[in-house]
Amino acid sequence: MKLERLEMPLDELHDKLARTLTKNSNKRLGLFTSIDGGQLVTLLLDPKDGTAELLISPLELERNKYRSLTPHLAQFHWFERALFDFFGIVPDGHPRFKHLLLHEEYEADFFPLRKIALPENFENVLPRRYEFLEVKGEGVYELPVGPIHAGVIEPGHFRFSCFGETIVNLEIRLGWVHRGVEKRLTEVPWQKAHFVAEAAASDTACANAFAHAIAIESILGVTVSERAQYLRSIALELERLAMHIIDVGGIGTDIGLLGISSAMGRLRGKALGLADLISGSRFLRGFISPGGVRPVSERNLSEIKAGVISLRKDLAPVIQILSENQMATERMKDIGKLSRSLAHEFGMVGILARACGIEYDSRLSFKQGKFPELAPSIVTELGGDILARTRVRIGEIATTLDTIEKLVDGCPHGEEKMVLPEKLPANATGLGIVEAFRGELIHLIFTDEAGNISRYSIKDPSFQNWTAISIAIRENLIADFPLCNKSMALSYSGNDL
Amino acid sequence: MNFNFNFHTMLETLGFTATFLFLPPLIVGVIRKTKARFQNRIGAPLLQPYYDLFKLLSKSETISKHTSWIFRSTAAVNLSMLIILAYLAPWTSFRPFAMSSDLFLVIYLLALTRFFTVLSALDAGSAFGGFGASREVTLALLVEPSVILCLASLGSISQSSDLAFVFSFKNIELLNQPGLWFISGCGLFLASLVELSRMPADDPTTHLELTMVHEAMILENSAANLALVEYAHFLKILILLGISSQCLLHAVPYFWHTTELIRASASIGCIILMAVSIAVIESVAVKLRWTKLPEFIAYSVAMSIFCVFIALGKNLN
Repeated sequence: MKLERLEMPLDELHDKLARTLTKNSNKRLGLFTSIDGGQLVTLLLDPKDGTAELLISPLELERNKYRSLTPHLAQFHWFERALFDFFGIVPDGHPRFKHLLLHEEYEADFFPLRKIALPENFENVLPRRYEFLEVKGEGVYELPVGPIHAGVIEPGHFRFSCFGETIVNLEIRLGWVHRGVEKRLTEVPWQKAHFVAEAAASDTACANAFAHAIAIESILGVTVSERAQYLRSIALELERLAMHIIDVGGIGTDIGLLGISSAMGRLRGKALGLADLISGSRFLRGFISPGGVRPVSERNLSEIKAGVISLRKDLAPVIQILSENQMATERMKDIGKLSRSLAHEFGMVGILARACGIEYDSRLSFKQGKFPELAPSIVTELGGDILARTRVRIGEIATTLDTIEKLVDGCPHGEEKMVLPEKLPANATGLGIVEAFRGELIHLIFTDEAGNISRYSIKDPSFQNWTAISIAIRENLIADFPLCNKSMALSYSGNDL
Repeated sequence: MNFNFNFHTMLETLGFTATFLFLPPLIVGVIRKTKARFQNRIGAPLLQPYYDLFKLLSKSETISKHTSWIFRSTAAVNLSMLIILAYLAPWTSFRPFAMSSDLFLVIYLLALTRFFTVLSALDAGSAFGGFGASREVTLALLVEPSVILCLASLGSISQSSDLAFVFSFKNIELLNQPGLWFISGCGLFLASLVELSRMPADDPTTHLELTMVHEAMILENSAANLALVEYAHFLKILILLGISSQCLLHAVPYFWHTTELIRASASIGCIILMAVSIAVIESVAVKLRWTKLPEFIAYSVAMSIFCVFIALGKNLN
């Protein structure tokens, strides 16, 4: 993939972004961060051409702040908050400026990824105390939920402001599983970094390892063998298959169709079994690494194909029961609606963007294994509601099954793994974009003069999509929140990193 | 009231008491087992609800410091009221002693248990208890008319509000009314689904606090307190399913002319059949959206209104 690196002064950045991130432009925001605290880094993607542009805007050290982009470009709102948490760079004029990931327990001047010294007159404008948006009015009450939940899920705090049974506002506070993944990735030797990278979000282990491998290989300028590319794509699709199956089953649990959920649970186990056949790990851990993949025998590949065929047969009746259940359809329709324009404005990706009719699937735009050559067509729906999201998932289960079959058929013989150079080149930039099952996943790597990784930035699809829940659930019933949440199935750890 | 204390009555009373004390967890076990089979699972043993209750009894209790005596006494109050109801309400054809039970007494004893449950939910001061209580009261408001009308139309034909007399298989006025019995049985069954917080009104297996109705109200209870609350709820299931199954049995002329023993075993059998049908409904239906629930309750209310029409027609003749 072509990555263009441009220096762009701050003033020009505002104009450039205002011009490029409009409704009609092909470009979209990939990620927004900094390398060591002395500059802003904006990654712009062009899904149509499959190219990417990296804008680097140096900051004046004494000022340590810049005019916030959020007032005009809403999709920057979490990026700018994360940027402050990690680097201490202040977005001047951010409408809801508060911490995103670091909590009260951290020191006031702790900015973990900042490498250059803070300016001498730096004053932390933001106390560690977190203030929720307060909704006032007679009859409005607040309902705190989490961070520990009733089910076995990850932690996240939801603050509902309700008027009777209706949600007026939902504020989401995350960061409870912040582990310092991005920093750790700069500390381990790069040959072993893929173990850390794939643990960024463990249900997305394969996609993370894949994006990591693409990014490292793009720094080294190498291309892995044809067989490795096929096997990587098969692994990515197996992960998507297993996770889509359990997410559809999760919808069954939440509307009370326990038969669907237990059948889907069983079938997900079968899909994980296929993942085990290809990688020796049900969650595809350690399979993809820079340079290739672990060896896979021909026998296992043909077993995977047989497994896919039987899985397709087993899934059909369960999905039919779910989609033909009139009560279930009615339960999901027109709830948790996300409008296309807001999804676009907030830069939503993945299932929930496709469920509002946004045709973006990075498998069709950016080189990742055997995609876009063998990528399936995009599944979209127009409703933007829970039903649409479920239908997109069901549609993708079908296209994924077909794609795996096609990939296994086409998989050539050859070497799985190539030998990589000892050292990474100095001052290089690597980019890996992969369509994880939740949506577009980006790994961006910078190396320093000595060829070590100096900055590793991960943009999980959930990072943009968390805002979607707050938007979609507004004016809905509070009893519909769990279902709406499930239909988005976002990652906490992928967001918190 | 006619108490005839001889040895035989004593034995019968003991047997009756043992039956209604033993049965409720079994009914719940039947529902859970059937649901598990519908999901292709083996499921927990039939007697698992008993084990769970005993497990809860041996645990140590955590009580919120914001609660008052209401929270602590509710479980015991509710259980004692439901035990009284088990003696009063016509949930089975078999009753050891003839005690009159007024229709309104039965209905308002049920309402009183709800009143205390709601109070204790509000007592702990948690947000979940609050909206669980508000939902419960909203549902009760919608369902209560249907229960009253179903039972009252039976009462108005038999010219008595004594349920023991209405459900005695002796009332000649009601012998030739299988339609009325059947419709009121169905109406009561649908109303019971809502009253008992079963699907499609509430999902008893959910762990999601935000969607709960009944479960949200008892989130603060633990250990022995929770065991009592659970057991009282099981007992309520038995009583409400029992009343609707008695309606259905009265619709079958055969049971009017048969022996006490067959009637009694048919009563228990019918309750278990109803438990199975609850499980079937819960396996194929989804939990309805909160705003759609009145539409479901309307079925029950419509049936109760039919009962009123039949009773009116009969009385005008």
